[in-house]
Amino acid sequence: MERQHNSVVRTPLNSVVVQRRSKSKSYRQSYRSCLGAASRLGLTPALTARRLNTSRRAPKSHNITDKVDPEQLTLLLKTEWKLSYVTPLYQFRHTQLKSYSRQLSAFIAAEKQQGLAVDAEGSQSSFRVSFSVVQGMTETADDAETVLIQIHSKPMFAKQDDPQKLVWSGWLACINGNPDYLSSLSKDFICLPLFGSSGPEVLTTLVKSWFQQMFDCCFGPLEISHTSLQWLVALWTNCHTESNIQHLRMIWTLPVTPPLQITYTVDAQDAWELWSSVRKDPEEESEGGEEVEEGGSIDLKEVMRFMQGLKNHFYRHFRLDLSAGSLQQVSTALGSAKYSGRIKVSSDGKNCSQSFSQDTFLLTHTRKDKCCTNIFFLSF
Amino acid sequence: MDDSAKRLLQRFMRRIPTQMLKTTLEKWSRLTVAQQKSLDFTQSKWALTEALLDICEENKWTTKHISELEMIYVIDNPNQGMWHAFQLMDPEDDAHSVELTQFKEQFKSHLSELIRHVSVKIKKHTDEAVWIRIAWGDSYSRPNHLKPTYVVHYLQTPYVFVTSLTSKQKPLLSQALVLSTRHHAIKDANLSGKKFTAIRDLLMRQYQQAFPTKYPSPLKEKNQTVSNPLIEREQAGPAANRLQMACEAFGDGMLPQLQSAVYKLETKFRDQTNKTMTEREESFRCVVKFASTNLLESLRDCASSGIASTPVTPLLSSIPLKGRNYFVITDNSPGPSSQMHQKTDG
Repeated sequence: MERQHNSVVRTPLNSVVVQRRSKSKSYRQSYRSCLGAASRLGLTPALTARRLNTSRRAPKSHNITDKVDPEQLTLLLKTEWKLSYVTPLYQFRHTQLKSYSRQLSAFIAAEKQQGLAVDAEGSQSSFRVSFSVVQGMTETADDAETVLIQIHSKPMFAKQDDPQKLVWSGWLACINGNPDYLSSLSKDFICLPLFGSSGPEVLTTLVKSWFQQMFDCCFGPLEISHTSLQWLVALWTNCHTESNIQHLRMIWTLPVTPPLQITYTVDAQDAWELWSSVRKDPEEESEGGEEVEEGGSIDLKEVMRFMQGLKNHFYRHFRLDLSAGSLQQVSTALGSAKYSGRIKVSSDGKNCSQSFSQDTFLLTHTRKDKCCTNIFFLSF
Repeated sequence: MDDSAKRLLQRFMRRIPTQMLKTTLEKWSRLTVAQQKSLDFTQSKWALTEALLDICEENKWTTKHISELEMIYVIDNPNQGMWHAFQLMDPEDDAHSVELTQFKEQFKSHLSELIRHVSVKIKKHTDEAVWIRIAWGDSYSRPNHLKPTYVVHYLQTPYVFVTSLTSKQKPLLSQALVLSTRHHAIKDANLSGKKFTAIRDLLMRQYQQAFPTKYPSPLKEKNQTVSNPLIEREQAGPAANRLQMACEAFGDGMLPQLQSAVYKLETKFRDQTNKTMTEREESFRCVVKFASTNLLESLRDCASSGIASTPVTPLLSSIPLKGRNYFVITDNSPGPSSQMHQKTDG
């Protein structure tokens, strides 16, 4: 059993490296070289390890509503965002947002008139773009402030005095960015590496191409890896005592013909009890010589033991090995994440909030009675 | 023509694809040749609806006639909506002699005794199936033809298939069915799906099943030149064996297009490596749903490719064997709450 665990732990490490190499985008390369440099410089193994997904800080209490306007936060909740990565933006200025709003509106109108992009009826309605800053949606002083973009438009058959409706929204964020990487950038660049969008694909394409032309950057798809999804399974379950997760739902697909989809939904309390049973003893932790942080840390080994426990229970009944398939989606009452790079954070009120960055995924959830927030860091 | 008939026709026209409209109208055989010819099927649906409304108005046709048209379409295209299977139980001695006319009369009279406003239409289809369309009302309102329940019963069999039935209407339908088919009870067969034909074929075993005798030997002589005949032969054995067991469990050839199966597991968590959970008193509650465009073919492929271990677990082979796709699994211990006792250790 022990040997099996070791091999399970090693696999994601390798796959992370392989995945990074296979991407030829310059941003990815600079990011990797930065990582490499960091380890050569002899930074603590703990830092590198965290970046490579073997261990994470346990959720810590944090009140995001102190920092971020709750009204702005609600704009980010309950919406499913399609994630992309963005290379650093050349000469992007947070002070120029009003001008960007005008320019992007004009750009969309011009593109529509060319008939390049969309349906005919769209050309009649005008689009109003607004850029705004989501103040406080950062973790460190080096992080650039999150930028929210909203596009309003009139519905096709709207009357003259009907108000414009929100048809598209998106944001660019950097939360807990790698400080070494951020400081290595020239002053002309602003790093907002994570792009989330929600709305018609045509508008997403237009916004992306405007950014590319204006700030000389590139966009690329961001999948949520199998390992990250497994982390979410554990991290969300770990939340259950503070905020009811209602259920733990995982969706696998199996490569048979025709493809088989398996939805495995576990009772919240039972999932939590299984999770606590696979957590390591505090003694074992100190034996390992690891730094004991406040609230403890979560180790990839524990995540894998949890997943294995869930898979074993499934196999005992169906004699069907879930490892043969791939985990496609994870969801609880706190949110959902899909392999295709779509993510949603739900809430049971105003008290829940979230933000994302490419390198880190920050998820926060506040309790109704106590204004505390859990923050998780996931390296994609 | 009243409003409800108008709305029923409009809704029917929205539902039916234009290319099917012509044949369905022909089967309805209420239009005269001239009326049929006057309809231009290349026109928009809106124009066709208007033309049909005019014809109906002229002939003073009512909801009765329009619901007939809807029924013809549904019988020809039954793979819509969610179908639930039921099974009649404890037949009386004369249950086998119930024939169509008697059933029709009895069903209508029993149902109208139970509920004042109800409209029933019964039609026998070519394959021995009796199709029933029920539009329900209540004590104060007339039958709502926009939300009809469809029931299919194969005479002299215990099988009944139902779509769009509310929990309020269920006891009424059950009682009328039990009485008119000369049975004592009816139970949920725990089988449901979008494809009516699939759940019917599965429950009534109308598909090709495989039997152990069909496969003479898992080992066959091959004349092909292979890189390593020894390895090839060694692997052929287990592979053929897996395929055989897969076919025995799920059937051979084309299988009924069942789209999902759901298991509610309320069993203990047993894992040698996890003492805490194994010693826990309570069961580990979870729900597992399998879904595919053709579930039985997917599961057969799982078993033959080795993703699922063979022999196939009774939990999965129960789908074709028992003709159901909803299971509640509890540990094999006495307890009144469990619907199905199944030893899960294999």
